[in-house]
Amino acid sequence: MKYINRRKLLGTLFALPFIGLTTSALAQSEVTISHYFTGELGLKAFGEQMEKFEAATSYKMKNSPVGHEDFKTDILVRASGSSLPDVFSYWAGARVQFIADSDSLKPIDQMWNEAGLDQIVAKTVADSATMYNGKRFLVPFNYHYSGMFYNTKVMADAGITKMPTDWNGFLALCKELQSKGITPIALGSKNRWPAQFWFDYLLLRSAGPDYRAQLMAGKASYDDPQVKQAMGMWKALVDAGYFVENANANTWTDASDQVARGDAAMTLMGTWITGYWNGLGLVPGADYDFFPFPSIMAGVPSASVGPVDGLVIGANTTNPKGAEEFLKFMVSDTGVQAAWSKAQGALSANVNVDASNYNSVMLKAFETVKNSDAFAFNYDLATPPPVAEVGLSMFARFMDDPSGVDEIMKQTAQDAAGAFNE
Amino acid sequence: MRGLSWTPLIKASMERDKRLWRIVLLTPPLLVFSVLIVGPLLSSFYYSFTNWNGFSSSYQFVGLSNFQKIWTDRLFFQATVNTIIWMVSALLLPTLLGLVLALLLDSKVRGGKFFKTIFYLPICLSAIVVGQIWIWIYQPNWGLLNTLIEEITGERFRYAWLAKPDSALFSVIVAWSWQQTGLSMVIYLAGLTAIPSEILESSASEGATTWQRIWYIIIPLLIPSTVVVIALSVINSLKGFDILYIMTGGGPFNSSDTLAMHMYNESFKKYLIGYGSSISVVLFVIALIIIGIYFRQLRKFDQIYGQ
Repeated sequence: MKYINRRKLLGTLFALPFIGLTTSALAQSEVTISHYFTGELGLKAFGEQMEKFEAATSYKMKNSPVGHEDFKTDILVRASGSSLPDVFSYWAGARVQFIADSDSLKPIDQMWNEAGLDQIVAKTVADSATMYNGKRFLVPFNYHYSGMFYNTKVMADAGITKMPTDWNGFLALCKELQSKGITPIALGSKNRWPAQFWFDYLLLRSAGPDYRAQLMAGKASYDDPQVKQAMGMWKALVDAGYFVENANANTWTDASDQVARGDAAMTLMGTWITGYWNGLGLVPGADYDFFPFPSIMAGVPSASVGPVDGLVIGANTTNPKGAEEFLKFMVSDTGVQAAWSKAQGALSANVNVDASNYNSVMLKAFETVKNSDAFAFNYDLATPPPVAEVGLSMFARFMDDPSGVDEIMKQTAQDAAGAFNE
Repeated sequence: MRGLSWTPLIKASMERDKRLWRIVLLTPPLLVFSVLIVGPLLSSFYYSFTNWNGFSSSYQFVGLSNFQKIWTDRLFFQATVNTIIWMVSALLLPTLLGLVLALLLDSKVRGGKFFKTIFYLPICLSAIVVGQIWIWIYQPNWGLLNTLIEEITGERFRYAWLAKPDSALFSVIVAWSWQQTGLSMVIYLAGLTAIPSEILESSASEGATTWQRIWYIIIPLLIPSTVVVIALSVINSLKGFDILYIMTGGGPFNSSDTLAMHMYNESFKKYLIGYGSSISVVLFVIALIIIGIYFRQLRKFDQIYGQ
């Protein structure tokens, strides 16, 4: 029979508290993070920025990336199991509002003020993206702008040298392209969200940002004349055959490929398309460019639409200090911000990032946002998630059969009212 | 020590400790079952009476209001109809196709082994892989199906099978059946080997046609195999969430939602965990009824066939 060595036993018991302390110290130096930057370029670039943080501090990052679409589910599963990571990426707007309302986030006001982030974070996105219920919860990491991205060669071959600035000009452009056998607009609404930019801009340009804000907050209805007018303009474009066939069968990258190949002339998409196209070897300015969504009604303020990617801290973080350090570093460090925005095809949230960091197309996007009267989150980030689900399905249904628009809007008004009461 | 046998002593000891052994051996699987199945099942029941959104640490008990909402939810109604279509199709198509293939391959056909392997291959693939293959087949611009139709008809054909509400669910059912048919085929092939060749030979010498032999001899003798095929098909179709998720995600605009998909969308896309849980409770009850009916029929079958 083997006897337990009493000396060894005592030694082990003596060492236990130290092992515990070491583990605890390790936990204090480790920051867990989950994020959705999982595209080929994004994953690599985000990893490199985390390495910069690790090199600059004593913290180690424990990384668990999750695919963009799956992330929306994954983070809820983790929240419901009370196992949120210390830090996670999230989309500013209604989604952060939703989890801030659920007390699942840690406020960062103190860190924000101590780090002087007011002087660092771009004014365009500062308050709208970071403040919820009077407290700051999110550090913006980058933001995007949605515009009409086009194939320069296709436009040039069609003899189009000047891009439209108003609605009539846009309709004339579509007609001209179509007459030359070119499908004017690519759309990949298989995952529904790419269609939202059409609704956003048509409503913002015709009814204005104030009305749109009311609709997003449930203070206006989807069967209002303003919404019907916006949908009517969209329907006219579809009926005229300006959109590609089977938009609901394509993803946004399929639509981007159609434009890149010259199968369609343009697509309404966010600036992340530049990261995708650059990865395919397209040259900004030479192979592709963009123009802002044309104005529709005179006197309506010009608003830019786009998402803000941010970083937030889970309410039950075991390492609040490390998490705050990470957030501060990622937005403050100009090297990180410059490298990240370049890799992602995004606009930097840090005002100190030199504009020369951007290529010609991104610089134009930066200037467009700067000169806009307002910045609005895109649809699924502007209205609560249950309502966004109703609206996103409405867009896909509309693209499938625009002739049923009246019935679709009636049903959407009813469903959205129900979703607001959830 | 010669003459002294340990066996009776061990047997007695085993007999004494039989109960203990049962407990010891059953505890690990029961623990796993409790943690992974019973626990979540009970919490689903619990949350179905709340308005929990998944994020919040607090929630209210809302009584039966989630279940009341089900009756007014048109998407739930649509998902129920789709679930019935899904289950019936997922039961009938692979069963019938598997039977036909087994009958064809059971006779001495050239390359029989090769075809058996080919037809069985899809069942070895995960639903995600099968889904992706069929997404490519259905692709409107360059997919195999539309290209074939174009070749046959000589006309441009760009139908978006998975993006149209009229065809999305049926397109997934075809993909699902393609995968599951191999399993039915193998079970039927095994059943066919158990049919005595004398019966078939004597029926042939008595002048029975091929069709009569299939209808009056082979199919009745394949009932034990059919029971297994139906059981597996029902179980697999109830679990059939992943292929729908990858191929349509319940879309376009909820047209291919089954109850499982609707529950997922309500819970994880709209963040209505309470309501989603109530849908899962209803789904659980439906599954329970189906399984109950199945076991009842199985008992009747056992009494008839004495198995």
